[in-house]
Amino acid sequence: MKRQSGISVLRRFAAGLALAAGMAVPATAEISPLLYGPDPDEERRGGSLTYGSLVEPPALDPFHQGADARIRVTALIYQGLFYEGEEAAIPLLARDFDISDDGLVYTFHLREGVQFHTGGTMTAEDVKYSYDYIRDPANGSPGAGDFNMIDEIRVIDDLTVEFVLTSPNASLPMALGNKYGAVVPAGTFDAEGARAALNDTSVGTGPFRIREFQPNSFLELERFEDYWQPGLPYLDEITYLFLPNAAALLVALQNNRVDVARLSRPQDAVQLEGLPNVTVQRWPSLGQMALDLDSDHGPLGDERVRQAISLAIDKDEILQAAVGGYGTVIHTMVAGMQEAWGVAREDLEFQGPDREAARALMAEAGHTGRVPLTLTTIIGFDWMDPAAVTLREQLGEIGIDLDIRRVDLGVWIDNFRSRNMGFTFNEWGTQPDPNLLFFRHFHQQPEGADFRNWRNAAASELLMRGQQESDPEARQQIYRDFQKEMARSVPTVMLFSSDHVTVVGNRVHNFTKHPTGWHFGLVKTQVE
Amino acid sequence: MGAYLAKRLAASVVTAILSSLVVFWLVRQVPGDVVAQMLGQSGARGSAAEASLRRFFGLDEPLWRQYLAWVWAVLQGDLGTSWVRGRPVLDMVVAAFMVTLQLGLMTLAFATLIGVPLGLIAGLYEGRRIDNAIQAFNLLGLSAPVFWLGLILLMAVSQTLAWSPPLVFRSPGRDLGQNLQILILPLLSLGILQAAAYSQFTRQCVVSAFSQDYVRTAVAKGLPMRVVFFKHILRNILIPLVTFMGLILIQILGGTVVIETLFALPGLGRLLISAIETRDYPVVQGALLFVVFTALVVNLAVDMLYHVIDPRVRVGG
Repeated sequence: MKRQSGISVLRRFAAGLALAAGMAVPATAEISPLLYGPDPDEERRGGSLTYGSLVEPPALDPFHQGADARIRVTALIYQGLFYEGEEAAIPLLARDFDISDDGLVYTFHLREGVQFHTGGTMTAEDVKYSYDYIRDPANGSPGAGDFNMIDEIRVIDDLTVEFVLTSPNASLPMALGNKYGAVVPAGTFDAEGARAALNDTSVGTGPFRIREFQPNSFLELERFEDYWQPGLPYLDEITYLFLPNAAALLVALQNNRVDVARLSRPQDAVQLEGLPNVTVQRWPSLGQMALDLDSDHGPLGDERVRQAISLAIDKDEILQAAVGGYGTVIHTMVAGMQEAWGVAREDLEFQGPDREAARALMAEAGHTGRVPLTLTTIIGFDWMDPAAVTLREQLGEIGIDLDIRRVDLGVWIDNFRSRNMGFTFNEWGTQPDPNLLFFRHFHQQPEGADFRNWRNAAASELLMRGQQESDPEARQQIYRDFQKEMARSVPTVMLFSSDHVTVVGNRVHNFTKHPTGWHFGLVKTQVE
Repeated sequence: MGAYLAKRLAASVVTAILSSLVVFWLVRQVPGDVVAQMLGQSGARGSAAEASLRRFFGLDEPLWRQYLAWVWAVLQGDLGTSWVRGRPVLDMVVAAFMVTLQLGLMTLAFATLIGVPLGLIAGLYEGRRIDNAIQAFNLLGLSAPVFWLGLILLMAVSQTLAWSPPLVFRSPGRDLGQNLQILILPLLSLGILQAAAYSQFTRQCVVSAFSQDYVRTAVAKGLPMRVVFFKHILRNILIPLVTFMGLILIQILGGTVVIETLFALPGLGRLLISAIETRDYPVVQGALLFVVFTALVVNLAVDMLYHVIDPRVRVGG
């Protein structure tokens, strides 16, 4: 294994890789202006902001709690080595890095003078501890799987750490982002009750720290005075209010009890349009609303039935019914990544609506009469109800009698994890990297989870190659081929990416919504 | 009296134990557990992370051992620690209960102060216009769903007064003004309904009292209606009224979840709902046990109160 010398050579090489391939752009010690959103026009420091939320983070532990509601908030408190840039991972706590020739050794040079909320300066020891902790399955982190390409982590000196991989993996920098885990002081989890303590006292490096967390009530964050990015954050404090009722949230927005909120039902924005004291905004999303098809579930085992279903669906109609059109119809890629990674609709098979072809396929599969099928939806996901009714009508036209079954989220998660999801709607998001999007969900076991029991060897082979391929164009082609296979064999039908629809009061300035939906934008948000 | 009290307490303990068994078993029948919730879509069943988490929460122990461990802790006053929040369950339950209790007591006071006089008047002037008017109010109050009433109040106030309640809950000790502003609309929503129920019940008590022998006798003796009413009827219907008060209180304490969800109050109802959704067994068990305990205490207190009101009532008879 030969290590590259000469940062400039490496930087050109890596920059070429990075831009198209979604890997990181090694930066100088300069801080990328892309971090945490665009800079504001005016200097406005201080004040407090109230954020209204329908969902509450169950806990504030980025190592053991996988819920999206948690990630959105801890993105302000904890930081990984990289930040989820929209086109590439951007160095955050890492300042820059080198990659060995064979792609197996990443050497990260850390930023100097990064402080922890509880005191102390970040060193390579802390980085090693943090990532060794999360990747050890014995510690029970939902993120452990994202790091199983790491073989060993070595401390070189106080500000240099080496990650040695088992095989090349182009999405390593993005995985070292802000979804799971973070850099925390070495030994954080040694004490008993350390996990629970994270709900009251944060130990991160992020721009905000926890002041007070009252479950079922509110969460107060305050500015971390020793934060390493100069001048940030602008806000003195953020108060999260947990309102479990959408009507109450709208009333709160109308009366400026709440400064910012994201509408879980985008079409509710109609009630606020025209009001003088608020502005409605739309942002593209990296999330997807999808229809999952378990190949072990009744008639879905026959590929032709799945293809027929795909052909029967009119996604525009569902988009309208579900979120009032506040989103984008998608095919095999989330809207936020379509340009960089997606495949054009014309190049994909079995894209509907084409009821004739769908009926023909059903007949070919031996279904001449009505076929009963149960669709599962999740209580609390408002878009699923009108979407389900619309889908029932659409599938009714190709001979499928759809029965709709609503289940509690905990039950649904349990079924999903047991690979027993049946025929169900799903909603999930990703970081902007195709390996992190597809591998775990669609690669067959044991390397992937293959939740939908797809057992597709050809697709799995493509995913494995895509994970290891470093040449950006080759990587892009591999994932295009994968998407074509996904469209052909239909383990899932990606329906649409719903826009993030936010409402901001007039005293709020420079608020942006990151496509992941995580609250990065609040770092550069200002209030009057 | 002492023997009766002892007997009632013993019965309460048995009830509490049976309830704890039911609660413990029931909550584990719902598919999915806290580990599944925490891991979400990050991986499938059977992973090493899952095994580690199950061990962390003691979920790999046999059910009977989990139950005994929990009961043993409860008997020592330890309701355990929330698996999701990491806080002592007792602290969480008591804090939430205080919110529900405040709302409950205020609602009870409101319902009593409005409902009882209305019911007395309606019963006294049975058949007259005032009675019909009050009964119309009662019927409306009894039929309106509490959620609808709360939502209508919230939206109406917002539209007409451009005001909605503050959203950060503060206890009365910490900020009385904010506390009252937050509770006024929930109080009205719940209170109107309970006042209607109380009013109707009181009216029935008064009406049926008028047909009793002792009232006929009193009237026949030539006593003025005022004396008949306050000296005889009122004292005799006091027992059912107190019973009803106890029932209202228990109902309020156990049934505020809808109002708490609408008005974002961090009460016991909301705590239970979120604990069930996240499969936070210690909190579900602890909260339910607390509710059972409270119901038992209120029942016992009401029974004791009978004896105070009417010494003729033989407690334990």
